[in-house]
Amino acid sequence: MMSQKNNFPPTLNFEIPAMSEQTIPTARTIYRPTATVQGPGGDKVSIEVRDLNFYYGEKQALHGINISILEHEVTAFIGPSGCGKSTLLRCMNRMNDLIDGTRAEGQILIEGQNIYDKDVDVIELRKHVGMVFQKSNPFPMSIYDNITYGLKIQGRKKKRELDEVVEKSLRGAALWDEAKDRLHESGLSLSGGQQQRLCIARAIAVEPDILLMDEPCSALDPIATARVEELIHELKKTFTIVIVTHNMQQAARVSDKTAFFYLGNLIEFNQTEQIFLNPSDAQTEAYVSGRFG
Amino acid sequence: MNKAADTDPNQETGYKTATAGNFRSRRLHFLGLDSDDIVKAFFGGNATLAIIVLLLIMFFLFKEGSGFAGQNATELVSFRQSGLEYVDLMRSQLNAFNDLPRHLSKMEAEDIKFRMKEGDELKEAREHTKELRDYTMELRKAVRPLDRHIKELSETSIVLRDAYKTYLNRCQEKDNLQREADKAARRGNTELENRFRAEAAAVRIASIDVAARRATVTNRLPEFLAINAELRAKLGVLLENAPAVDREVEDEMRRFRSKAQRFIEVSLQTEDKLRSWDAERPMPFSRRITSFLFGRDWVTNSYFQDWYGVLPLLYGSVVVSFIALFFAVPLGIAGAVYVNQFASHSEQKFIKPYIEFISAIPSVVIGFFGVIVWGQFVREASGWAIFSWIPGFPISERLNAFTAGCLLALMAIPTIFTLAEDALNNVPKAFKEASLAVGATRLQTTIRIVIPTALSGMISAVLLGFGRVIGETMVVLLCAGNRISIPDFSDGFSTLFQPVHTMTGIVAQEMGEVVSGSIHYRALFLVGTLLFFISLAINYMAQKIMRRYSIAEK
Ligand SMILES: Nc1ncnc2c1ncn2[C@@H]1O[C@H](COP(=O)(O)OP(=O)(O)OP(=O)(O)O)[C@@H](O)[C@H]1O
Ligand SMILES: [Mg+2]
Repeated sequence: MMSQKNNFPPTLNFEIPAMSEQTIPTARTIYRPTATVQGPGGDKVSIEVRDLNFYYGEKQALHGINISILEHEVTAFIGPSGCGKSTLLRCMNRMNDLIDGTRAEGQILIEGQNIYDKDVDVIELRKHVGMVFQKSNPFPMSIYDNITYGLKIQGRKKKRELDEVVEKSLRGAALWDEAKDRLHESGLSLSGGQQQRLCIARAIAVEPDILLMDEPCSALDPIATARVEELIHELKKTFTIVIVTHNMQQAARVSDKTAFFYLGNLIEFNQTEQIFLNPSDAQTEAYVSGRFG
Repeated sequence: MNKAADTDPNQETGYKTATAGNFRSRRLHFLGLDSDDIVKAFFGGNATLAIIVLLLIMFFLFKEGSGFAGQNATELVSFRQSGLEYVDLMRSQLNAFNDLPRHLSKMEAEDIKFRMKEGDELKEAREHTKELRDYTMELRKAVRPLDRHIKELSETSIVLRDAYKTYLNRCQEKDNLQREADKAARRGNTELENRFRAEAAAVRIASIDVAARRATVTNRLPEFLAINAELRAKLGVLLENAPAVDREVEDEMRRFRSKAQRFIEVSLQTEDKLRSWDAERPMPFSRRITSFLFGRDWVTNSYFQDWYGVLPLLYGSVVVSFIALFFAVPLGIAGAVYVNQFASHSEQKFIKPYIEFISAIPSVVIGFFGVIVWGQFVREASGWAIFSWIPGFPISERLNAFTAGCLLALMAIPTIFTLAEDALNNVPKAFKEASLAVGATRLQTTIRIVIPTALSGMISAVLLGFGRVIGETMVVLLCAGNRISIPDFSDGFSTLFQPVHTMTGIVAQEMGEVVSGSIHYRALFLVGTLLFFISLAINYMAQKIMRRYSIAEK
């Protein structure tokens, strides 16, 4: 068998080389301890995943994932379709609980507490860990109501307070200038890119610590994408961000660290530059080099 | 290499000649249609057939119902010309009076019931109310002369009415024949024309002097006035000497007095109306239809005068449907919300088919259950102590609007449940996820996001449920009690427990025995047409709401 490095043609339309069962490295051997991965935000761990196995019924979607995500950093999850990026992301706010027959083994520690512990209230957890979805999904109500929704369900009703939050969130989501004159129009009347930023505003309105983004730009045009990316740079000051993306350039542009997944395993996790310029794993290189083609 | 290839000019290039043949369809052909066309024609044909059938039904309903207006005009004209309308004015006054002794009898029954509850024997109680009973008797006696007088007048008028109706019908028959003859003449068919003319000539019309015969009734006004004045005087005296009653029924007694006062006013008004009544007053054209749409009486095969007013039937249909919706809407919607939002998978698997199964029960079986079990139970339950505070309870009728409404609710639940569940299902999962992701509970998500989003679908589910129950026939025919009347609503809540008749019920009940082509027959068709339009309107509205507010389209 030829070495995979040589085997890989640097074309845009690359294919992942087939891996036999034996060649799949276990995540544990690949995983590098956080200590060696210094980030710009210091080294305070925000999310720590320990030996996470995840099952959809009989089917195992995640195999022994170990990863530490630092505060105030942007961490990108990359990997081919179906490798479990969304699954891991949705484990972090227990969104997968909604799907019947799912099961998680292992731990995810957020602020030192295992979110899969019995006494954890998912509702409280989700207030801490916000989420932005692939397809923008504003509620069929006004922009104002969309943003205040999360606060109203917490029983916060004071108009002044809500007004402030709306402005702050819209500014935070770089949507204020475009939306300030139409706060009471339907959220669905916005353009696709604006809708996605509205969803970001809705997520940050409840002031979470962590923001999970599952391919937030996949439905957007390049200009809207650029705005959201800019926004992510801004948001990083306030939030810890985990972003799933299929766009290598995007991962390279916005993230501090990048994790590469394959077939439910975490193959490599390192500084983004390292991953893209000098990956230590052959598969990672094969995957990311698509961008150099 | 074969010959054809040799002669092909493009042979060297290796390309085949581009002829039209390359694009010729290779699909199955039949009668010049290919398979796609055949499939299209099949489905298109079915859809067309359905539309044609619908149009035919509408046309048929219209055709049979439209004759009503003309026949009704004959009815109305002969009613007036014969002076029956005149007598009817007197009769309505008589009815107003008859309500008085009826009121007292009811009051007495209540008093007896009360005394028995206090521990009296029936006999004792009746002894106690004897004075009241005698008084009621006096009232009944007082009205007898008026009663007799009106009966006499009625008889004269009815004979005249029938004669006059025959006369009008004959005239019309002759007219029609003449018109046919004219038509034949225009076509130049002399033979046919002559035959029509002969037939027209053969129609015998006994001329009648309506005005003179009517005058035998109207000329007796002074007699009536005298009797009426005497009645009023008697009533006045009786009111002065009304017996003392138990405290429990004092309120009723007071109502009796005010009713009596009102009767005296009505009586005076009637006299005015009689004086100014004029047989020659023109009958507005619209009356032919308004007497149907807004008529408060549906009276058939009566000796006096038939009326085809749809209001009591409409009232019955609507009240039964509303009772049904009152139960079916909360149950159906709540069931749908629970199953869709909160139930576990296994619960869903159990509940959904179970509820949908209800709609598979034949309506006659439900009606049967209603007659035998539910009606009996409702009447019994109305006697329970906890309901005794409701005026009019315990009820006397086993079969009534409430009984039928409950059973119809059973039939509406599957419709509402299924459609509402569909509406909830159509709420994009993304909304739900987004709500949960900002920390909403399941309940908050359901109430604030899922239900409002599905609201239009749920409203149309309710409307379609309404359409379902208002068109239902068997259950109401069996369980609604079939009394044709608009109740007076003075009984308040227990009005809902009175028997009613419905539009569907009347058609099912009377269609079998009417003479084809008679006005009664046509009136039934008109009821059917009205029902058809109500259903159409409900369905239209449901679709409109569904479309207007569905977010999926935005
Ligand atoms: N609801 C589900 N039920 C069963 N299996 C699922 C479900 N969702 C995902 N999976 C499986 O889990 C594996 C990981 O899916 P996941 O959605 O996490 O992939 P992904 O990396 O996000 O892919 P993509 O880039 O296409 O979004 C896939 O093999 C998929 O088939
Ligand atoms: Mg995904």
